[in-house]
Amino acid sequence: MKIPAFLQGSTELSVTGPKVLASFQIFGITINFTETVILEWIVMAVIIGLCIFLTRNLKVRNISKRQVIAEMAVEAITNLVRDTMGKRWLSFTPYIATVFCFSIFGSLISLFGVRAVTSDFSVLITWALMTFILITATKIKYGGVGGYLKGFADPIPVMLPINILSEVATPTAMALRHFGNIAGGSIIMGLIYFGLTSLSHMIRLQVPILTIGIPAVLSLYFDLFSDFMQAFIFIMLTMVFISNAGPSDDEAASSAA
Amino acid sequence: MKLGFLSIDIGTILFSWINLMILFFALKHFLFKPVQKILSERQEAVDKSLKDAEDARERAEAAETAYTEKLQQTKEESAEMLRKATRKAQLRSEEIIADAKSEAAAILQANRDELEREKHRAESQLRSEVSGLAVMVAEKVMEREINQADHERLIDEFIDSVGDVQ
Repeated sequence: MKIPAFLQGSTELSVTGPKVLASFQIFGITINFTETVILEWIVMAVIIGLCIFLTRNLKVRNISKRQVIAEMAVEAITNLVRDTMGKRWLSFTPYIATVFCFSIFGSLISLFGVRAVTSDFSVLITWALMTFILITATKIKYGGVGGYLKGFADPIPVMLPINILSEVATPTAMALRHFGNIAGGSIIMGLIYFGLTSLSHMIRLQVPILTIGIPAVLSLYFDLFSDFMQAFIFIMLTMVFISNAGPSDDEAASSAA
Repeated sequence: MKLGFLSIDIGTILFSWINLMILFFALKHFLFKPVQKILSERQEAVDKSLKDAEDARERAEAAETAYTEKLQQTKEESAEMLRKATRKAQLRSEEIIADAKSEAAAILQANRDELEREKHRAESQLRSEVSGLAVMVAEKVMEREINQADHERLIDEFIDSVGDVQ
């Protein structure tokens, strides 16, 4: 009896990057258009659609459940930014919310059987670079270009290489941490599916019934918990690094006085 | 064609950055702007109603103070009135009692006068009767007529002597 392919389970295991859908050359540089970008568009469409749905028909009184959710979400992320960064940094709230939503939905999309957006290292590099740019911009804004450059020789000039290293290490570590957790989780889940399929075939089951149920429990950790955790860690680190790059609320208040 | 597992792809970075910015502005426009607008509107409404409540409380307090003052004033006034009325009533009662006393004294005096007059009249009547009686008795005793003038003089002497004895 011939078993349809979709019922045969995962019969092969490969650890690769995203598919390249198109590729073109600009000024001799190869620009790849990968499936990650398509998945990002899907994620963005979901998030934006959700926002539009939740904020439809807003009222001051007698609010709908949708509006309650929207207000709670906005207030929660605003409070998180206020508590972590301080009052003066509240303008960063939309950006933090963007990264948080993108990370969570980009990770959770793997539950639908596609690659997670966040298991593409380039995406995490992009977000970490953005954090790095914001940190640097904040340092230059509050210390000036001279102050920023002088910071590298702080406290003694001998520290220069170490300071440069730590400056580079910040975004690298953030990107690798997030990528490693999500990609690692998806590899482990792939291994579990592959292993359970092989086990099913070993005990002469044509359809890998063992892959039903058991992976769901592990998926709770490797997909759901890990996704939320990594999104939260990423925005927390972003907020802490950016707010540490500028003066604290107390310092700002004392210098203004 | 697939990229390597840990590959860093310029194209993906570029597109991802653009996507991140698009999502940033979309969230800002579709989520934060409307929700923050409604939140600040609600905050304004709450502030306004709080202020209204505060005003109302102050007004109520002022009214209560005024009312209490007025009540106190009224109490004092009524107490004053009561005191005055009591004093007036007392004076009046004393006056009435005094009037009654003097009237009673006057009546007593009048009665006494009347009695005195009555006594005099009875006395004079008695005197005339006694004189007539005495004349008759004397006529009988003396068996003779004496004139009326002598009789009366004699009787008067008799009565006076009787009155002296009394």
